[in-house]
Amino acid sequence: MSKLRVKFVKNDLMKFISHLDLLRLMERALRRADIKLSFSQGFNPHPKISFATAVPIGLSSEGEYMDVELDEELKPDSFVDRVNRQLPEGIKIISAKNIEAKTPALMAIVDASSYIVSCPLENDTTQNTIEVAIKDFMDLEEIIIHKVSKKNGRNVTKEIDIKGFIYKMELLEHSGRSIIFKLMLATGSKGNLKPEVLIEKFIHDMEVPIILDQVRVHRLELYTLVGDTLITPLEING
Amino acid sequence: MTKIDLDELLYKVEKPARYIGNELNSVKKDLNQVDIRFGFAFPDVYEVGMSHLGMHILYNLLNNQNEIYCERIFSPWADMEGLLKEKEMPLFTLETHSPIHELDFIGFTLQYELSYSNILNILALGNIPLRSNERGMEDPIIIAGGPCAYNPEPIADIVDIFVLGEAEEVILELLDKYKLWKHSGRNKKDFYHSIAGIKGVYIPSFYRVEYHENGTLDAFVPLSDNAPNKISKRIIKNLDDVYFPEKVIVPFIDVVHNRAMVEIFRGCTRGCRFCQAGMIYRPVRERSVDKVKDLAHEIINNTGYEELSLSSLSTSDYSGLNDLIRHLIDKYGEQKVGLSLPSLRLDSFTLQLIEEIQKIRKTGLTFAPEAGTQRLRDVINKGVTEEDLIQAMENAFSLGWNNVKLYFMIGLPTETYEDLDGIVDLAHKVVETYYKVPKEKRNKGLNVTISTSSFVPKPFTPFQWEAQDSIETLREKQIYLKGKLRHKNIKYSYHHTETSFLEGVFARGDRKLGEVLIKAWENGCKFDGWHDFFKYDQWMKAFEDCNIDPHFYASRKRSYEEMLPWEHIEIGITKQYLKKENERAQEAVLTHDCRTSCTGCGINQGFIGGVC
Repeated sequence: MSKLRVKFVKNDLMKFISHLDLLRLMERALRRADIKLSFSQGFNPHPKISFATAVPIGLSSEGEYMDVELDEELKPDSFVDRVNRQLPEGIKIISAKNIEAKTPALMAIVDASSYIVSCPLENDTTQNTIEVAIKDFMDLEEIIIHKVSKKNGRNVTKEIDIKGFIYKMELLEHSGRSIIFKLMLATGSKGNLKPEVLIEKFIHDMEVPIILDQVRVHRLELYTLVGDTLITPLEING
Repeated sequence: MTKIDLDELLYKVEKPARYIGNELNSVKKDLNQVDIRFGFAFPDVYEVGMSHLGMHILYNLLNNQNEIYCERIFSPWADMEGLLKEKEMPLFTLETHSPIHELDFIGFTLQYELSYSNILNILALGNIPLRSNERGMEDPIIIAGGPCAYNPEPIADIVDIFVLGEAEEVILELLDKYKLWKHSGRNKKDFYHSIAGIKGVYIPSFYRVEYHENGTLDAFVPLSDNAPNKISKRIIKNLDDVYFPEKVIVPFIDVVHNRAMVEIFRGCTRGCRFCQAGMIYRPVRERSVDKVKDLAHEIINNTGYEELSLSSLSTSDYSGLNDLIRHLIDKYGEQKVGLSLPSLRLDSFTLQLIEEIQKIRKTGLTFAPEAGTQRLRDVINKGVTEEDLIQAMENAFSLGWNNVKLYFMIGLPTETYEDLDGIVDLAHKVVETYYKVPKEKRNKGLNVTISTSSFVPKPFTPFQWEAQDSIETLREKQIYLKGKLRHKNIKYSYHHTETSFLEGVFARGDRKLGEVLIKAWENGCKFDGWHDFFKYDQWMKAFEDCNIDPHFYASRKRSYEEMLPWEHIEIGITKQYLKKENERAQEAVLTHDCRTSCTGCGINQGFIGGVC
């Protein structure tokens, strides 16, 4: 019996597979690697694999995490090596470590994500214009978005202030017709903000000519908040 | 070669992983190192095509040859089709994302008639002319096989070459000839001549069809000396020797049959009179238990699948079933690899086996009495009795099942409303049986699903001369059943009658239907098997425009004397046998399973030689 926390990347064509596809893919790779998995009880036993977040289709990432429960003791290095040989191009485990059985679930501890977001522009826009727009945007008292959800079959619009979900927004690169942002945004059950939602709001409020449907998002890392500091799920002691 | 830049498109479609390829065990080859490029095309969406065992077999068989590269082609879903048209990009292969017109061959598998419009759509999206006689040297050769190829005529003007029967051997013989021809600088017709004599190969352009004034066939005339008068299907003699893939592609997305598959035998001896598969795949050939065990082992190791399916037309008939199942449970139970056994007969022995299997993973229970009364079950030669069914249900409920499905057909020859009442009675008896089982033994909450499909007479069955029920008649029968099957434990589901009618037209159609098909495709018909896409009105308009009456093919009882459109194809079953079986059907006389003794279908008389 043991539990491993695993960090992996999901890149290239693999950004186009869904969260459920990824779950199946991992289970089968672990089976081929002859890793002895722990299974849930019941009519339809499932391996005990749990992910930090459900990665949306189209998002590439170099900072995804999962916890895997095993029916055997296995050195993390050996696990990484064996499983990587079974994973397709685009998905790769970077590191793994043993964690205690009672370690809180990934899903519960994730608070923030850092992203790189590339945005093509409709027309030439100077670096200064963008930087001013970011500053003005971040100086707003509140940033209200309208979220439509279904309640009892009816559409209900909710106002959400996302200002508190934006930890950082900066211009990383600028070249005439395209810009790249670096973002740090809230992720998880306590608050969640998708980069696309932020960019859409940014376009709307600041009138920056970003072509929304060509925005590409790449996740760099996931974080959990301990006191005032952000640390990665692998840095947690447990 | 050109490679399509897909990335931008993939962000805009609902399921991009349908188009990316690169799955585990998909084959990568250097295009400069291969001589023949073959596209295996399944004329439906990825999730359906990838569930098809035959595709996996041929894909790997061809890719095992160094000089051949087999890639996959599927119908793009409507969103991707729209984008391709908008960007003026051609349809592409999954492996190398090459435009499909760059291939030497495109091979379509014909699994159901309602996929024919998708064949045209694939060709058109690949910028390939639809009609065989419009294609030139630069275009790929269009080849087709699969169960619907046994009546190839409705698409004879579209396909260049048909392969009849099991393709594992004939496809390589054909490609060997192609290799010789490819570098000869001669025209396509020379290639066709070089293969016309290969058993199992049918080249429709080498024949002319003549018709009587009433529209029925008069003659089928070979136009070339080396075109045989009759074209015989190919049979693989020994399943242990024939190629079966050990490394199959594992899709990223959830496909219809998302599991490992091992074929345990081909053919079926039961002789159900409505069943085309039971006739065209004769004789029965089993794969040995040892071979199946080896294959299962390799496939599970190479894929990591959590479920293994043993495929055949009638799993219970496999002689080594007990031994095989116990072995698989012992070996893979601990790793939670589930087993699925399609097409089971529910006798007590089988239920015990299923009970064992359920300990790993729970599945539903399906039973196919096919008809509601003993008389009609005797007509179709489905040798099950009501007692069998009720007994099996009682056992199943006692063992904890509470979810059962019963499959029936409506519109069978000689059917009356008494037979429909039989379906209703059976459904209610199943419910009664459940409530008779002591409460402590059964599981709570019974669900009985009654599903009816509409009978479509198929070529090479004893019912090939019969008239199909009209759309209206079938609908009335469905409404009748719906009214009588209102019960809190019973759910009734049925097929759309218009699609069954169209299926019936093309199943027994002739060459004249090719133009209707093209017309219908021009009218926007595609994905006819998908109800959301099916355009019955456009189909009827196409028939009208071509001045062809669809009822001529589906709704007319044919005489034994009439020349049938598939008369030039030989599957080894004699017309005499089919006739005799049809007559026994009319009298509701059973014909026994030919495992017990030969019933004289003809497959072992001169066709393969020896016994079957």
